[in-house]
Amino acid sequence: MTVLSVTGLKVRYSAKGPEILKGIDFEVKSDDFLAIIGPSGAGKSTLIRAVNRLVEPTAGEIILLDHNVCDLNAKQLRELRRNVGMIFQEFNLINRMSVMDNVLSGRLGYTGNMRSLFRMFPKEDVDQALYYLDRVGLSDHINKRADELSGGQRQRVGIARALMQRPKLLLLDEPTSALDPKISREVMGLIRDIARELKVPALCNIHDVQLAKEFCNRIIGMQDGYKKFDGATETLKDSDLEEIYAMEVL
Amino acid sequence: MVDQHTPPKWSRYKYPESLYKHGTLLIVLLFLGYSLHFLNVDIPLLLGALGGLVGVVGDRYYPPDVAYVLDRGYLAAILDTLQMSFLGGFAGVCLAIPLAWFSAWNVSPNRRVFFPIGRLGVISCRAIHETIWTILFVSVLGFGMLAGVSALTMFCVGFAGKLFADEIEAIEMGPVEAMRSAGANPFQVFLYAVVPQVRVAFTGIAIYTWDVAFRAATVVGFFGGGGMGWYLKRNVQQLENLRVAAIILSIIAMVLVAEFLSGWLRATVNRAK
Repeated sequence: MTVLSVTGLKVRYSAKGPEILKGIDFEVKSDDFLAIIGPSGAGKSTLIRAVNRLVEPTAGEIILLDHNVCDLNAKQLRELRRNVGMIFQEFNLINRMSVMDNVLSGRLGYTGNMRSLFRMFPKEDVDQALYYLDRVGLSDHINKRADELSGGQRQRVGIARALMQRPKLLLLDEPTSALDPKISREVMGLIRDIARELKVPALCNIHDVQLAKEFCNRIIGMQDGYKKFDGATETLKDSDLEEIYAMEVL
Repeated sequence: MVDQHTPPKWSRYKYPESLYKHGTLLIVLLFLGYSLHFLNVDIPLLLGALGGLVGVVGDRYYPPDVAYVLDRGYLAAILDTLQMSFLGGFAGVCLAIPLAWFSAWNVSPNRRVFFPIGRLGVISCRAIHETIWTILFVSVLGFGMLAGVSALTMFCVGFAGKLFADEIEAIEMGPVEAMRSAGANPFQVFLYAVVPQVRVAFTGIAIYTWDVAFRAATVVGFFGGGGMGWYLKRNVQQLENLRVAAIILSIIAMVLVAEFLSGWLRATVNRAK
């Protein structure tokens, strides 16, 4: 089953600015753990942000969970975004809030304004937060402030927060770039295991080709706003990598 | 006529820049001279006035009538001014927070509707000076504390609103992006991604706002808002110079106390980051 299908996607940040994405087509199936690789500036982050319209596409079509993302109004877009968990390179936690509140904030899309104001999340949300905090191994840090944690722990909070949305798709924007190699492996492993457990497909930006090969079943190679490679991980050859990263050598 | 000389060869500035630079300076100086001439400012008199000031102060304003400012009526007026600045500062800060949220470009709930409302609200409060607010409110509400508090509220909205909005516009956008991607609405984004980041700064600005409001409260009082300023006005009109001297000294003392207190509180808040 296709969860996400993107056709002819183009993005430009301003009318006179350069075109960042120059017509991208790809699909994410329900059992995919898809990596997007490519040199810096290839448009990986922009691509991932265009999927849930954190970045506005200038042309093309994005069908996400049977909705045409570009046609939605603000309210419909919020309702669709609730189904898409996102994990970030810099974690994007709220540093001055506790780990628990950070994880619960993943439920905001389902929570009313009054409850949000007084942080009165329903009991089942709290129970679920406790469960996911346990799952990512942070049961001992529930009441700590987010800025007291190490990098790897913070990303685990980010993972738990994304899972709170009960996502139907995970968007991962360089989830391991701010972490050291050992922690990177652990975090990628955790995300992959959970994605399998919950049967959630994932679309993952990653610049570490080794990690991509190790954890992802499919790979998209990007260069300068174009898609240069799209196929199963086993079919990625060294010559493909050379082509994708050709610009960086220069 | 102005003689436009070509810049010397050794100048660091190339031809057009030097012309603009010196031209601007020349215009400023010319206007300054023209204003002095037009207003017929008598400079020797002005210089003499400085010496005269010492004489007048020594003659008419010394010794200050300290007993008057220690009287129960005046002490109550100090309390009035304090309460006025608290109420005005509190109401102003409460109104300024939503306006600042509307008028911060990065997280404004709606850039086409709320953004202009917020900006216009803050700017119009700033555009009108607190004395003019006082005169306006006195003419509507009559003399007294209510007019004074209302005027101070408007003043504080303008003062704190601008500072709050600047603070919001300088936040890290990562958490905002995270909350948006989770499907949070603009109000929730403000609560969860903005407020935690600006909480400490807002507290500091709120304290500073009270400090500034206290200073403004004396002037607001003078124009009919009640409190210390009102006493000042009455005694100025009755030529009770020794009392005026004592009142001015008491105002200076109170402002200094407020300044120290606010400085200390802000330092304490900032340490609690």
